[in-house]
Amino acid sequence: MSGPAFLAWRYLLHHRIKTAILVISIALIVFLPIGLRVLVDQSARELTARADLTPLVVGARGSALELVLASLYFEPEPPEPISQREFERVRRTGLVEAVPLHLGFETRGRPIVGTTLDYFALRGLRVATGRAMAVLGECVVGARAAREFGVAPGDTLVSSPQTVFQLAGVYPLKMKVVGVLAPNHSADDGAVFVDVKTAWVIGGLGHGHRDLAEPGADADVAAREGSRITAKASVVEYNEITPENLASFHFHGDVGDLPLSAVLAFPPDERARALLLGRYQAPDEAVQVVRSTAVMDELLETVLTVESYAVAAIGVVGAATLATAALVFLLSIRLRRREIETLHKIGASRPRVAAVLLSEVVAVAVLGVGLAGLLTLGVSRFGEAAIRRFLLS
Amino acid sequence: MRWLPVALLALAVACSPAPEPEASAPDPDDAGPLVVYVVNEPLRAMAERIGGDAVEVHFPAPADVDPSQWSPSADTVARYQNADLVLRSGAGYDAWIDRATLRERALVDTSAGYADRLIHVEDPTHRHGPRGEHSHGATAFTTWLDPTLAALQARAVAEALSTARPDASAEFELRAAGLEAELEALDRRLSAMAERIADEPILYSHPLYDYLGRRYGLDGRSLHWEPDAIPPGPQWRALEALLREHPARLILWEADPLPETTRRLTELGIESVVFAPCSNRCAADWLAAMQANAARLEAARSPGRPIR
Amino acid sequence: MAAATRLRDVVFRYPGGDFELRIPELRVDRGEQVAVIGPSGSGKTTLLHLVAGIALPEAGVVETADVDLSRSGDAARRSFRARRLGLVFQEFELLEYLSVLDNILLPYRMNPVLRLDAAARERAQVLAAGVGLRDKLARTPARLSHGERQRAALCRALVTEPELLLADEPTGNLDPANKERALDALFAYCERAGATLLTVTHDYELLPRFGRVIDFKTLGEGSA
Repeated sequence: MSGPAFLAWRYLLHHRIKTAILVISIALIVFLPIGLRVLVDQSARELTARADLTPLVVGARGSALELVLASLYFEPEPPEPISQREFERVRRTGLVEAVPLHLGFETRGRPIVGTTLDYFALRGLRVATGRAMAVLGECVVGARAAREFGVAPGDTLVSSPQTVFQLAGVYPLKMKVVGVLAPNHSADDGAVFVDVKTAWVIGGLGHGHRDLAEPGADADVAAREGSRITAKASVVEYNEITPENLASFHFHGDVGDLPLSAVLAFPPDERARALLLGRYQAPDEAVQVVRSTAVMDELLETVLTVESYAVAAIGVVGAATLATAALVFLLSIRLRRREIETLHKIGASRPRVAAVLLSEVVAVAVLGVGLAGLLTLGVSRFGEAAIRRFLLS
Repeated sequence: MRWLPVALLALAVACSPAPEPEASAPDPDDAGPLVVYVVNEPLRAMAERIGGDAVEVHFPAPADVDPSQWSPSADTVARYQNADLVLRSGAGYDAWIDRATLRERALVDTSAGYADRLIHVEDPTHRHGPRGEHSHGATAFTTWLDPTLAALQARAVAEALSTARPDASAEFELRAAGLEAELEALDRRLSAMAERIADEPILYSHPLYDYLGRRYGLDGRSLHWEPDAIPPGPQWRALEALLREHPARLILWEADPLPETTRRLTELGIESVVFAPCSNRCAADWLAAMQANAARLEAARSPGRPIR
Repeated sequence: MAAATRLRDVVFRYPGGDFELRIPELRVDRGEQVAVIGPSGSGKTTLLHLVAGIALPEAGVVETADVDLSRSGDAARRSFRARRLGLVFQEFELLEYLSVLDNILLPYRMNPVLRLDAAARERAQVLAAGVGLRDKLARTPARLSHGERQRAALCRALVTEPELLLADEPTGNLDPANKERALDALFAYCERAGATLLTVTHDYELLPRFGRVIDFKTLGEGSA
């Protein structure tokens, strides 16, 4: 190592706290805008990827952003409901693959997502242990939720009681875990999946009880009029679906009226997408069809605007920090006047002495930028996983 | 200190997550027979007849179970989930599917083409509270006893198979046409037979013959008599009361009644004829079983044979 | 005998100050050990700076080791100092962030004319061992006693094997034993290398060891 560089390095090591502070300050000034950009890019990619995988979302009129976010990320506040009939309507077009979604219920803080088996196929979800749900009352748990709950096939989960869809109440249903999904690094990892019909049972729209027509059921019967039986309010409804009582479960009313939160539509090509969108253009249309990517792009534009403000703020702080660092450096030169004189006296040339001081600045800058580079590398490596873990699932 | 940057880099590389193995998507164009699951014997027969070698038809209900009352285990449901096609009979026949999770894309309701021709019946239904939610009336579901509806069902089966296996649609079409022709012949045969009993009051052992009765204008009333049990006294008395306003001399059974039952019915002047719906395994091919039903009816009411 | 340094009609003034130093004639021969004494502020340190070429006279001639420093540029004078002079400062002026060994070898790191090779490192080790600092080479000055710092400064002055040693109060604030030891080291080197020693000192007890004493009171007209 050259003389000036050697002296510079020794000086920095000797004053390691001051050096560390300067290095970290420079590293942060350099890293923050870059790291922010990397994180925003990764977030954008994640959000966009999920939206790309869900081309169209059909839902009630209202905020398209809330509809898309709820459907893609199972937000706790579900959108206004649409009817099962809307799902049938989308299917009947023959233009797209359609998957119903029922949201709004939770178990142990994780969303219960009512859907069909086609959701797994279209999302590329694989059952790692156990199997997919087969009958009412069964559930399949995402990888992260299963780990959090410590459940495996054979265990049970109880839905959390709450009020949705303006019903009088929601009955806790004890669900049987029959499968655990392989990790998908998405919001699906944190969800508990049931058949849509099971979600309706949780919502009190379907239930099971003893057969009121059988002779021993008189205690539960309020009145009989010919073949019409009126049950008492006190009739006991099952809160767990077992092989023994499964056949008793039924839905009252027209199944087409039962609620869904959204319908995910997967068109095979642009033409099908355009045709489907075209069918929902009437001004009196009760539902909307939104393009997930368009909604996400709007959201990301806002994020980018916020990011630019943040970068500007960081820039101002960075300039102030650099000015402070320059001041520290100039003050330290003043404090080292005697040392500099000594070097002159023993014969060191002015450029050589200047090289010592400059080497210190360069070393700090290089270390700072190097640290910023490492931090950026870390964010590039682990940012996506962190985003999926803490932000999206 | 010189080692620090290198160590940090090495740490970063070492901590990088291992790449996830890609999930392999199922190949939709698997060259092999189409795996078809059905919910009763008539659909099984139709799918096999129309599909030929291109299909592998499964009907896993036990032979001694009424498929309309069948509630398969979760493991059996899982087998249905893996099918390429699941053919529903519809009209409320296969209620267990409404409590199961199957792939919507694979489900085909073969009664969709005649949904407007389904017969709604008064059945014990219940509601919760005076103005509470209530069940709609049930639907008669033995639609295949009307050969014209069976032909529409066969057409639906052919279309479902063709959608799933377009390259074989010509063969499916050909075989479906053959089946439809046979069903038309059966219809003509039953129509001719029905002319002989058009004004005759008849009885049905169970409310299974709505579609048969509607198609051929039969004047039938349903009992709830099991072939493998002797009806208890009150049911005989109810029958006698019924006979006063509906003097039937013929009863259609879904299976052979007990000899004692037959004897007592004969004493009342009622002849027992088996007209098996064949919803589960039959002794013979389903269509042959229908032809046998027609033959037995013809035999009971052949011209010149006195009505006992 | 050749002169190690010679000043003639030298006039020096500090910029902006009232101090003026006049030296009509001063000569130190090679191999001499000369002490310079005088009242504070009389210009003794300035004399050393002039001899070393650190300061330039307004008038007159300063020749050191046959080089007219009063006519030389800054770079030439620095190079000259690095190659041929050894300086011991009043406050030792060790760099706090360097070890004893690195302080001793500082001239080599700061002057490209000098080569930091194995021989130089060897000389540094030997010098340090000679003044009892062999086991303290890795320490920084903060962890040395006053006497040890002074000895380290001596080693730094001697490591380049200068032909002229300029020492400004080399024994200041040292106890008697260390004073003797410091002078012993300086004199031993001068005798061994045939080098010249020009020392500014306030310590009259040391004067008998020098071959000649220059009294600024009689020599100089250094006046504030």
